[in-house]
Amino acid sequence: MKIVFYLHLHQPWRLARFRYLDLGTGKPYFDIDRNLDIFRRIAANCYRPTLDRLETMLRQDSRFRVSFSITGTFLEQAALAAPDVIERIQRLVETGRVALLSETYYHSLAFLLPPPELEEEVALHQQRMEDLFHVRPHVLRMTELVYDDDLARFAAREGFSGMLAEGWEAPLRGRSPNHVYSSVARGVSVVLRNYRLSDDVGFRFSARGWTEYPLTAEKYALWLSRSPGDVVGLFLDFETFGEHHPASTGILDFLSALPSAVAREPNLEWATVEDAVRVPPAGPFVVPEPMSWADEHRDLGAWLGNDMQRSAFDAAKKAGTFARSSHDPEILSDWRKLLTSDHFYYMYVSGKGADADVHRYFSSYSNPYDAYANYMNALNDLRRRSLAKSRASH
Amino acid sequence: MLPPTRLAGGRGRASAFPVLLRRSGMRFAPSGAGTGPVSLKHLTILMAGWEYPPFHTGGLGVHCYEISRELARLGHRVVFLTPFPGPFADAPGVEFRTLSERLPPGAPIPGAYTPAEIYGPHFLDVVNQYNDWIAHLTDAEDADVVHVHDWFGTVGSRALARRLGIPLIMSVHSTEYDRTLGHPYAPILERERIGIRAADRIIAVSRQLGEQLITLYDAPPPRVRVVYNAVRPVAPELDDGRLRDVVLYLGRLTRMKGPDTFLRAAAIVAPTFPEIRFAVAGEGPEYEHLIALAASLGIGDRVLFFGKVTEAERAALLRDAAVFVLPSVVEPFGIAALEAMAAGVPTIVSKTSGVGEVVRSAFQVDFWDVDEFASRISELLEYPHLSREMGDQARYEATEAGWAERARQTVDVYREAIRARALRR
Repeated sequence: MKIVFYLHLHQPWRLARFRYLDLGTGKPYFDIDRNLDIFRRIAANCYRPTLDRLETMLRQDSRFRVSFSITGTFLEQAALAAPDVIERIQRLVETGRVALLSETYYHSLAFLLPPPELEEEVALHQQRMEDLFHVRPHVLRMTELVYDDDLARFAAREGFSGMLAEGWEAPLRGRSPNHVYSSVARGVSVVLRNYRLSDDVGFRFSARGWTEYPLTAEKYALWLSRSPGDVVGLFLDFETFGEHHPASTGILDFLSALPSAVAREPNLEWATVEDAVRVPPAGPFVVPEPMSWADEHRDLGAWLGNDMQRSAFDAAKKAGTFARSSHDPEILSDWRKLLTSDHFYYMYVSGKGADADVHRYFSSYSNPYDAYANYMNALNDLRRRSLAKSRASH
Repeated sequence: MLPPTRLAGGRGRASAFPVLLRRSGMRFAPSGAGTGPVSLKHLTILMAGWEYPPFHTGGLGVHCYEISRELARLGHRVVFLTPFPGPFADAPGVEFRTLSERLPPGAPIPGAYTPAEIYGPHFLDVVNQYNDWIAHLTDAEDADVVHVHDWFGTVGSRALARRLGIPLIMSVHSTEYDRTLGHPYAPILERERIGIRAADRIIAVSRQLGEQLITLYDAPPPRVRVVYNAVRPVAPELDDGRLRDVVLYLGRLTRMKGPDTFLRAAAIVAPTFPEIRFAVAGEGPEYEHLIALAASLGIGDRVLFFGKVTEAERAALLRDAAVFVLPSVVEPFGIAALEAMAAGVPTIVSKTSGVGEVVRSAFQVDFWDVDEFASRISELLEYPHLSREMGDQARYEATEAGWAERARQTVDVYREAIRARALRR
């Protein structure tokens, strides 16, 4: 059984309060200081200690493998707030046992926008990976692990050999998520997230009410080794280690103990996403409608579930036409920062239950209405700027 | 294994857990905390209120009506003690006893007082008679608790509870400090202090008010409980294509309610939204000043002053309202905002309003931040998806916990006080 241990690194550019009265005043949309403060705090709690642990693990166990996806907005913030975090990642990548993935630079829903936005964002991200890490990724993951057949076709056109997706029951039709499957596009394999085993760490690790609490590396390795199949995808937010679960929960020690626990199970071995896509597919994987890794329904409802979210996304789509025709790099970059899916996530109207709690945890606003009004103001201002710029250049 | 729940894409907690933080910072228990086994005995409650509908000048009377009615519906016996002669709104099971049953010799006006007489020059004399009557109330021996609302009947209620050896519960709806913006009238302040000192349990209509009772009145934190106000559900209007084009202020025109902030924000919004009207409904000492202010802000022709409105007019205004604004400097609760939300009107409240503790789907603004009020109003006028989603959610949220729930929480407080007394014996 190959263990594909993959961690996602992302931070959005959160908006400042941009009032209706701020329209046309030239006030910046993004609260740089606040974003960098947040980044520094998470770097101290999570990025630095976890990267250090991973470096030790790679040094001590030559069989250990891990994969990362790192968004462009994360790297922008890291460069300003904690450049040593980038250096730490570079050291890890240099071992040759850490694979990087491609994705949209802005962690956006660009796949729902007219071309060439998706192509351009993926290319921008590829360029960044090459510049910083001297690596050209061969596996693509889409924002929030969104996947469908069209995206597989896109991946094939762009020369990728694999994609990641949620190991959700519907498309699996009774089959195990612990295999690599073939997408509808020739040459593109799909590696799936085993959400039960992933959530045991990501969601339940520190839940004292859980019957399996406390989770030890030995117990977890045993579960992995007894899992049927040949490839198991453990896909997690990087912030799982030290941020979602603070170090005091023992999550970092759990991580450090994994390689030796895995080594004791003879049928287990570590693999990167690039290793995994070379495993022969167990069958076809057909997903006509977009599927993500979020919320109960695994659809796009977390970002486009209500009228506010849909209208905001439509408005962003329209603003794109103006932003592009302004030919102003600053306007274009502001627009793209506004495409980051987190902004739409904050507009989710939560009721009660687990999904609502998760949304609230991740929101930078006290309610979805603040998020929507603020976003729409910024977008309105961006449209005005674009129009003024286009008029000026004609 | 637990049912599958998941974590979506990663980012840090920017302003993590705003609601939870506030709760964990709480210094006193929410209502119902620490109640042990529930006794099913129905209670007899002597309730020293003040006004009771249909006659009422403020929210206190409405509160007493709703809570007494629900307590009776739960099977408890409520005896309402008031200086007003009635008639009283229909509340099955609620008994009324009025001051006129024992007017002392030498009363300034013989017979039952009218509201005009009560609020006349002999106001404090009537208050004293009311308290004296309560203190010596006859046929009250089977009562389980005395429940006094605000300062009016504290002196008499304290004496009555002592004489009968039963707990005194005091509900505080607002304080004299708040009503006077920090210049309390000594005779009233003293009566508040007497009640708060004597009460076995003190019920505040919001946490912020509870905190104030602890800091300004030395209320012992373990005795303070919070029971919020509620509103009745409003049947949703059929979409009759009616234009919602009014930005509404509805409340007394006093400085503590911040109506001038409303007008200053209106002046900023008005030029951008020429089709919108601004309505100020209510009466009070600031009335003339506000009319002058509207004129000097250049929006005299855009603001309608309605004065005091009837229930029907109030409902009509809420039907026309695109936005409801509660800009109070001080607001222990702010039930008008909850009523607007129940009617599906997107609502903006000041952060100093207690109602903000129970609702999430209202904009909350610093009471002094005129630009932010103007921005929030503009956003609700500009973005139809915003006002629709917010209005729908507001309607649901405002009526989620009704008066029945608040009455149950009140009974929890009664029982807690009764049990605490039994343990002390």
